[in-house]
Amino acid sequence: MAAAATCSTGTRSTGSMVVAASRNNVTSFQRRGPRTSGTDSGCSRLVSISGTRPSVRNGQLLVSTGLPALDQLLGGGLAVGTVLLIEEDKYNIYSPLLFKYFLAEGIVTGHTLLVASAKEDPADILQELPAPLLDDNCKKECDEDICNHKTESNVKMKIAWRYQLLPKIEARPVSSSRFGHYYDVSKRIPQELIEASKWHGFFLPEKISSTLNEDPCSLNHGYIKLLQFIQNIIYKEGFDGSNPQKKQKNILRIGIQNLGSPLWGDDICWTENCDSNCSLTKFLYMLRGLLRTSLSACIITVPTHLIQNKAIIARVTNLSDTVVGLESFIGSEKETNPLYKDYHGLIHIRQIPQLNNLICDVSDVKDLAFKLKRKLFTIEGTWVQALVRNY
Amino acid sequence: MLESLLALGGLVLLRDSVEWEGRSLLKALIKKSALCGEQVHILGCEVSEEEFREGFDSNINSRLVYHDLFRDPLNWSKTGEALPGGPLEALRALCRRTDPGPVTIALDSLSWLLLHLPCTTLCQTLHTLSRQDSCHGDSSPGEQVHVLGLLHEELHGPGPLGALSSLAQTEVTLSGALGQASAHILYRRPQQRPSHQTQWFSILPDFSLELQRGPPLESQPYPDPHTPSMDPTTHLTFNLRLSKKEREAKDSLTLPFQFSSEKQQALLCPGLGQPTSHIFYEPDAYDDLDQEDPDDDLDV
Repeated sequence: MAAAATCSTGTRSTGSMVVAASRNNVTSFQRRGPRTSGTDSGCSRLVSISGTRPSVRNGQLLVSTGLPALDQLLGGGLAVGTVLLIEEDKYNIYSPLLFKYFLAEGIVTGHTLLVASAKEDPADILQELPAPLLDDNCKKECDEDICNHKTESNVKMKIAWRYQLLPKIEARPVSSSRFGHYYDVSKRIPQELIEASKWHGFFLPEKISSTLNEDPCSLNHGYIKLLQFIQNIIYKEGFDGSNPQKKQKNILRIGIQNLGSPLWGDDICWTENCDSNCSLTKFLYMLRGLLRTSLSACIITVPTHLIQNKAIIARVTNLSDTVVGLESFIGSEKETNPLYKDYHGLIHIRQIPQLNNLICDVSDVKDLAFKLKRKLFTIEGTWVQALVRNY
Repeated sequence: MLESLLALGGLVLLRDSVEWEGRSLLKALIKKSALCGEQVHILGCEVSEEEFREGFDSNINSRLVYHDLFRDPLNWSKTGEALPGGPLEALRALCRRTDPGPVTIALDSLSWLLLHLPCTTLCQTLHTLSRQDSCHGDSSPGEQVHVLGLLHEELHGPGPLGALSSLAQTEVTLSGALGQASAHILYRRPQQRPSHQTQWFSILPDFSLELQRGPPLESQPYPDPHTPSMDPTTHLTFNLRLSKKEREAKDSLTLPFQFSSEKQQALLCPGLGQPTSHIFYEPDAYDDLDQEDPDDDLDV
């Protein structure tokens, strides 16, 4: 910086035409802007999307799932363009929590959200998101900075006078610059954050008219509507690069709740041999195609414990990229097992994708359990408590 | 408690079987709702209207609105009495009803509806029925819709039972012993752990509910003290014990730092004149120490 400062002083004293040109710039070294039509600068532009970072292993762009512990187990985060499938636990208590963490992370980092559900209104789902834990010290300093900003702008610097002409950089710690935030489950997200965010909701009973007769061979009507809705949003808002975007690129976070349950009109949950056996699998295939060609990431929760045909579960797992299964101890014999007495359930990482890779990033840890404390959802290995007790 | 079954809104599933029938419990709950002043709509499919109304006194009978699907389910007689459109249309008409006030809808039996309608349609319609309170603006507790569904669990496979259970807010399974009926109630509150309870009861001839302590001579089902408690150290994927050879190998491992015996002695003996220190720790507002917070049960 010192070299640039002396350079600018030099140009000012010579009074060349560079001075006029660089009136708004501090230095005469001008950075060439990114070429609008060039795709080779695409990589550097992608990295600058808030809330994302490239994977350290293969350079894939990752977004956070909202739980830093889960990000670590998935190899850094969820890759953009992939599907995270959550196999619901039996009483559906913990999987909505992971779903909400994902959406809350989207709001905090400024991503666009698309929430689809057949059971609850998406507006109600958004009201129940957990509150982010921004440091209280940071917040206080932010407010003080805003107050002091006006008074300090007239103070002349005595020693560092060369820096006076530098544009004032906001020293506010921007929460979206970090990857992975912590949330307080016992509090609700502040209303102003929801209002400041951009979200689209798809509530099935409103979108579908119940008197329509469905053709059993083709895709389920509800799924078709959902796919059209997602495709519409992706196209309209330019997540697939179709409209040349003047504004900053952003990620679309899609959340679909309880896919495959009877409320979506799918009958895989109540019969083994059903006519529309491949509705869900076709939907997943088309959804993945949509995601791969756009800047989006998707979380889906499926009640696999209700699906009667085991072959469908296997197909659904193969068609998703990352699969995480939750198994809660409520009502099972594991509740009385002393090994598991500190935990609420087991978490199984069933599948991790191999994206542009020959090997996938399976972590070595196998016995993972989760626990929902009052404010936090934690994941740890079961050996931690066993060792503590035995030694 | 069995009385507060109707306190939470939503779908209440009554699962009965051949030995322990549930229609009397259904009628007892209907009677309770009617006495509370709620509107009661009944969709009767399995028994005739006269048989259903039997046992209720006249003031309760006057409050019940009975939709009869038993006499003419397929509308063959083409008179205006039967419900046109069949069961689905009847359910949808119930969804569209716009009278204000709390209402109880009793489905006489969900088994009959499951056999005549596709399960997905039934689930979607039930969901619309039980969500009605939020459609009418703010949902004060008095405006809730209670849907009581009688389900004969032996008629269906695990698929439909699982699908309907996941939709229900409360599930009551009837069983019993020694001539006493018991209800095992499972409450599924959203976002909270489900709680369950077993209640012994009996139904009096006028269909009022009487709670019992339990059958007198029956021993409570305690877990057998002779069964060994589960050993947590079996079936682990990691090794908790070292064999002798492994222990010797571990002891003979050279340590990465130099630790001579003099240094060890010096560290072990406490220095003279050092006061032993105590740490007094007071947890601060941000510490989350409690695992079981008693305030979690408060629905604030």
